[in-house]
Amino acid sequence: MEEDPPSPQKRSTSPPTPFTLPVDSDKKATEFRPFSPSSLSSPHMRAFHLAWLSLFSCFFSTFSIPPLIPIIRHDLNLTDTDVGTAGMASFLGSIFSRLAMGPVCDLLGPRVASATLSLITAPIVLSASLVSSPQSFILVRFLVGFCLANFVANQFWMSSMFSGCVVGLANGVSAGWANMGAGVSQLLMPLIFTAITSLNVGTHTAWRLAFIVPSTFQALTAIMVLIYGQDLPSGNYKEFKKTKTESREEKFVHVLFNGLKNYRGWILGLTYGFCFGVELTTDNIIAQYFYDRFGVNLQVAGTIAASFGMANLFSRPMGGVISDEMGRRFGIRGRLWGLWAVQTAAGLLCVLLGRVNSLCGSVLVMCVFSVFVQAAGGLTFGVVPFVSKRSLGVISGMTGSGGTVGAVVTQMLLFSGSKFSKQTSISLMGLMMIVCTLPVSLIYFPQWGGMFCGPSFDPNEPADEHYRLLQ
Amino acid sequence: MAARGLLLASIYLSLLMHECYGVTLFSSLQKTLQVTTTTKRGQVLKAGEDKVTITWGLNQSLAAGTDSAYKTVKVQLCFAPVSQKDRAWRKTEDHLNKDKTCSFKIVEKPYNKSLQTLDWIIESDVPTATYFVRAYALNAERHEVAYGQSTNDQKTTNLFDIQAITGRHASLDIASVCFSVFSIVALFGFFFHEKRKARMSQQK
Repeated sequence: MEEDPPSPQKRSTSPPTPFTLPVDSDKKATEFRPFSPSSLSSPHMRAFHLAWLSLFSCFFSTFSIPPLIPIIRHDLNLTDTDVGTAGMASFLGSIFSRLAMGPVCDLLGPRVASATLSLITAPIVLSASLVSSPQSFILVRFLVGFCLANFVANQFWMSSMFSGCVVGLANGVSAGWANMGAGVSQLLMPLIFTAITSLNVGTHTAWRLAFIVPSTFQALTAIMVLIYGQDLPSGNYKEFKKTKTESREEKFVHVLFNGLKNYRGWILGLTYGFCFGVELTTDNIIAQYFYDRFGVNLQVAGTIAASFGMANLFSRPMGGVISDEMGRRFGIRGRLWGLWAVQTAAGLLCVLLGRVNSLCGSVLVMCVFSVFVQAAGGLTFGVVPFVSKRSLGVISGMTGSGGTVGAVVTQMLLFSGSKFSKQTSISLMGLMMIVCTLPVSLIYFPQWGGMFCGPSFDPNEPADEHYRLLQ
Repeated sequence: MAARGLLLASIYLSLLMHECYGVTLFSSLQKTLQVTTTTKRGQVLKAGEDKVTITWGLNQSLAAGTDSAYKTVKVQLCFAPVSQKDRAWRKTEDHLNKDKTCSFKIVEKPYNKSLQTLDWIIESDVPTATYFVRAYALNAERHEVAYGQSTNDQKTTNLFDIQAITGRHASLDIASVCFSVFSIVALFGFFFHEKRKARMSQQK
């Protein structure tokens, strides 16, 4: 069969663009250069850096509280139940805010949506310094959790700026580097606390003052996004809103229901709940676990907890790269097998983490576990773009929300109150991960197959058949 | 290679066993000391301000020579069961190394046969909870050999409450309000600026 002549490079046929990065016909960048300072002049890389930094600040703020809990629980006379409820509450808000963020980005653009959310939640982060009862503690954690919706804005922004060939990588690196905020927070907050106490400020006041750092950082990144960012390669949403056709609004409801009735979105939401959700829960409990079980001091517990979150620097992008590689060699089948294998391995390591009795062993197992569970998150979003072209935003929102639902469920069942010891809870969480990854085998694409079955029709059929089935 | 691994494992295990052998259990301690406090039932004391007078010494009705091994006395502030409920980080364990009941050291002094008294001003970092006082007698190897406490064995009598100082200050409250105002103003300032820019570009 004669191959079609290779399509001429789109960039050579379009008029010379003012961008320093090569772009496609939609002006989306076809190359991803995060380490090149000269690329900062292009709106694409500027958007990338602003997006990951502002999401980083949101993760930093949300996880600024857990490393200080050993001090706060003394001050506010918290019980295990209070701490667990607050942990759950911190993700509850983000379930709904993540679902709502998709349509908001559509209406206002990711720049305004994410900056508004950041600027509104920054004062709430600072109000954590004013709590004096368990109820207000739980309330503050609930409200601060809303800012995690910026994840959806982040991914939306990357999809608007980067072309299909690099969007997976851009999404993965952006989310991975932003997730590191949770780890850096666990490391920095105890250090900030210690620095403040060294100025002869009592511990009761020192932890309160420490929240000035995350709230200021969050407000600053939001302002930078507003000043330096733009929604699209060619400008901002407002300038283009007038040219959008009215029919787009009418179809929105169709797009929404189209996404909601796709069973694959629900399965991916479940599996993401047990990789990213488990990651969020672990971020919440791991410092306390090492502090209480092994008797290390606050800074050491924070450092250990930080190394869990900071593995995101490479592990989540690596997950995306593995997914792309498996996809290249084995198609969707490879992506699904990769997701199942990595997430099941993470589950096994989680079970092991609860069984290990020595400090060194625990730290080692935790590090390997962090790589696998974060890579699983990257692999999940390697499958998401293929579920539905029309309802990509909705599927992304469902999967993203599923992540936080998983966090709430695991916290609620295993880490509130003193029913199980923390180590038993961790092992049980690993078991739940293994069981809830099995549904990946149920995902089936008629044109590409699933984990165990091949495609059910001839892939050489005309393209619009595929499109309709890809609904 | 396997032999080396086996050797290392057996050394490690024997160290662990040595560790286990040296651990003191609370249930093995004799209650030979008497500890009393001047607190009244239901009294709430303020951390950093109020003081508690603690008296400790050997129970005089015991035979002479009971205290021959006692070298130091460690007096500690301990959580009452009501303050340990649903708080795994304050749990009582028989292994004294793992026991978290008594987290605050009041004083440590060389053992003296006569009754000792101390006027202790409650330290400012003591959290809000219900407490009692316990004294451990340590031998020359600094292992606990005996104890006494200001409450009964069920830890129900003679408990006292301490109210911690609050870390909130007016300056922090004001700073929070200013920051919130700044955030909201920045947001609306941006919207206003964008609207003005759009209006100006329309006029052009």
